[in-house]
Amino acid sequence: MLKYTVRRIFQMIPVFIGVTLILFILRAPGVLPGDPVRMITGERAIPDALREQIVKKHALDQPLHRQYVIYIGNLLQGDLGESYQRGRPVLDIFADKFPNTLRLAFAGIIVEIIIGLTAGIISAVRQYSFLDVLVTLSTSILVSVPVFWLGMLFQIFFGIKLKEWTGGAVHLPISQMSSAEFPDWAHLILPAITLASVSTAYVARIMRSQMLEAMGQDYIRTALAKGLTRRAVTFRHGLKNALIPVVTFVGIDFGVMMGGAILTETVFSWPGVGREIFLAVGQRDWPIVMGGVIIIVFLVMIINLIVDLSYALLDPRIRYGGDAE
Amino acid sequence: MPALLEVRGLSTRFTTRDGIVKAVDGVSFALEPGKTLGVVGESGSGKSVTALSMMRLVAEPQGKIVGGEVLFKGADVLKMSEREVRDMRGNRIAMIFQDPMTSLNPVFRVGRQIGESLILHKGMSRKDAFDRAVQLLDMVGIPNARDRAKDYPHQFSGGMRQRAMIAMALACDPDILIADEPTTALDVTIQAQILELIMEMQERTGTAIIIITHDLGVVADIANDVMVMYAGRQVEYGESRHVFGDSLHPYTWGLLDSLPRHDSDEKGELVPIEGQPPSLINVPYGCAFHPRCPYAEEICRSEVPPLLATDTGHLSACHFSADPAFRRGMDRDQERVALK
Ligand SMILES: Nc1ncnc2c1ncn2[C@@H]1O[C@H](COP(=O)(O)OP(=O)(O)OP(=O)(O)O)[C@@H](O)[C@H]1O
Ligand SMILES: [Mg+2]
Repeated sequence: MLKYTVRRIFQMIPVFIGVTLILFILRAPGVLPGDPVRMITGERAIPDALREQIVKKHALDQPLHRQYVIYIGNLLQGDLGESYQRGRPVLDIFADKFPNTLRLAFAGIIVEIIIGLTAGIISAVRQYSFLDVLVTLSTSILVSVPVFWLGMLFQIFFGIKLKEWTGGAVHLPISQMSSAEFPDWAHLILPAITLASVSTAYVARIMRSQMLEAMGQDYIRTALAKGLTRRAVTFRHGLKNALIPVVTFVGIDFGVMMGGAILTETVFSWPGVGREIFLAVGQRDWPIVMGGVIIIVFLVMIINLIVDLSYALLDPRIRYGGDAE
Repeated sequence: MPALLEVRGLSTRFTTRDGIVKAVDGVSFALEPGKTLGVVGESGSGKSVTALSMMRLVAEPQGKIVGGEVLFKGADVLKMSEREVRDMRGNRIAMIFQDPMTSLNPVFRVGRQIGESLILHKGMSRKDAFDRAVQLLDMVGIPNARDRAKDYPHQFSGGMRQRAMIAMALACDPDILIADEPTTALDVTIQAQILELIMEMQERTGTAIIIITHDLGVVADIANDVMVMYAGRQVEYGESRHVFGDSLHPYTWGLLDSLPRHDSDEKGELVPIEGQPPSLINVPYGCAFHPRCPYAEEICRSEVPPLLATDTGHLSACHFSADPAFRRGMDRDQERVALK
């Protein structure tokens, strides 16, 4: 197990190098428009001395490969550089935004688990019933609806139309609504559902197919032959087997969500990591983009590792380390 | 007193896309306490479905028991409530399956899976059930049973898993153990051990056994009675010495001829039955075996032969079973059937 973990951590190194390299190449002069100094100072003319100072500070006068080495060197010391625009360390900026992203990710994952699992289980247990057809249909629609569009629809419907129709008695908060009107957590509802929409549909589908597969296995017949009730057979013997791949999917998805949901956060003006990166891209604020992407990649890799390790706890057939199997 | 088990006219069908499968068609037999019934026949002849029907375990809604009675100690299993059937399953009638690799749940410890029916039927606590599971594993010959009970199925070899399945089936001391090809998936060397174990357990617990198998040698060794099935129907049934020794059905002869002999050095004797078993959607008209039967005549194509008593007392479903000339006409090697 330890050996496996160490190996996996070493495997992260080339991924890291690859990601940072690609980002650096995108930054090279001529690849994407935008002069970094301009980004920092704005359109007005500046004295050469100041320009010199800025170039020095961000090491912009160095050749690209030197800049890369400097950047990696700083990164290894936990320094992601300073934002061009905001004059603050990138790490501080993300430290501010991360709790918001985390809250949204938690809320999203709860939606995904509760709705996704329930829908999947019901449609498997009641295969070909009305509910099953409903689940199959709605998941097919859901996976093909763009997230930002769904978010906007939600805002228009629950925040505006519903308010008009009910005279303000029933509606859900959309962005910019005053917080006094709603408890804090209520602002999470629409973004969380939007963020979780596609994954919830996937979870429901995976759950359904896994459950159907598990229920067709020989050990289910054995369990029935013991005299167990259908319910016990389904929820004890079937579900535990069917859940293993679903848990993996949800775990990895949580990692992805924690890295910030660019579309959802932007549509809902949610002050999280994803929106910060989105804004930074528009402003060509490279340190933020680079830092943000690196943080996301790092988080996703760590979560994936945790998921893989916990897989071994769920499925007794899997043992990492090489001696078994 | 009623028989331990009496099955009368059991019929089960499956509705499939291609048509209706008459998987079991009017099968009748009886089982006395502590006795062994062997069920033989080629693949697809309805052996497993017969067993599953008795437990009311055919997969619904495609599968449906359409007729007959399964009298267990006089009570018709087919008329029982869902609850009564559950109380009987695993408790009074237990079953082991062909493939021990897939018949145990991979994510639960072996001891727990064995203990499950004890908790269910005997109201034992988890702890007591586990202790009893350890005893049972020990009884079926698993060394270090206390440690092994904490293992998962994948940590067991195939033979050990089948032993665990047997322990699981015998946990509640059932009246009947149905073993559906319990050795087919195992190594030849392990097969004999598992059979021996089943017989030993029978001596110890007095359970009656229905053993389903392709292997006529096994049946000849251990079964009191034998039922030969073909295309969902019973073609011969009775005491095994008569079914094997005085068989009156060409299908049974065919099965016997395709049996390897250990006690003779004659060569070229192994004759498989020609042709394929029929599809159970379009069972041949008349005697289902007639397209493959070397002795088939006009009547075989037009009329279903009834299952009638022969002069030895066993039942046979061939139009010529009662015809002495037919029997004499066969130059069958009598020694072959000296299988005991
Ligand atoms: N769930 C099912 N749906 C449709 N048809 C089925 C189903 N189960 C069994 N059958 C059909 O019923 C017939 C009898 O099958 P069964 O499994 O009883 O044969 P068997 O004698 O046990 O054969 P084997 O020796 O291969 O185990 C076969 O034609 C099979 O295709
Ligand atoms: Mg079978």
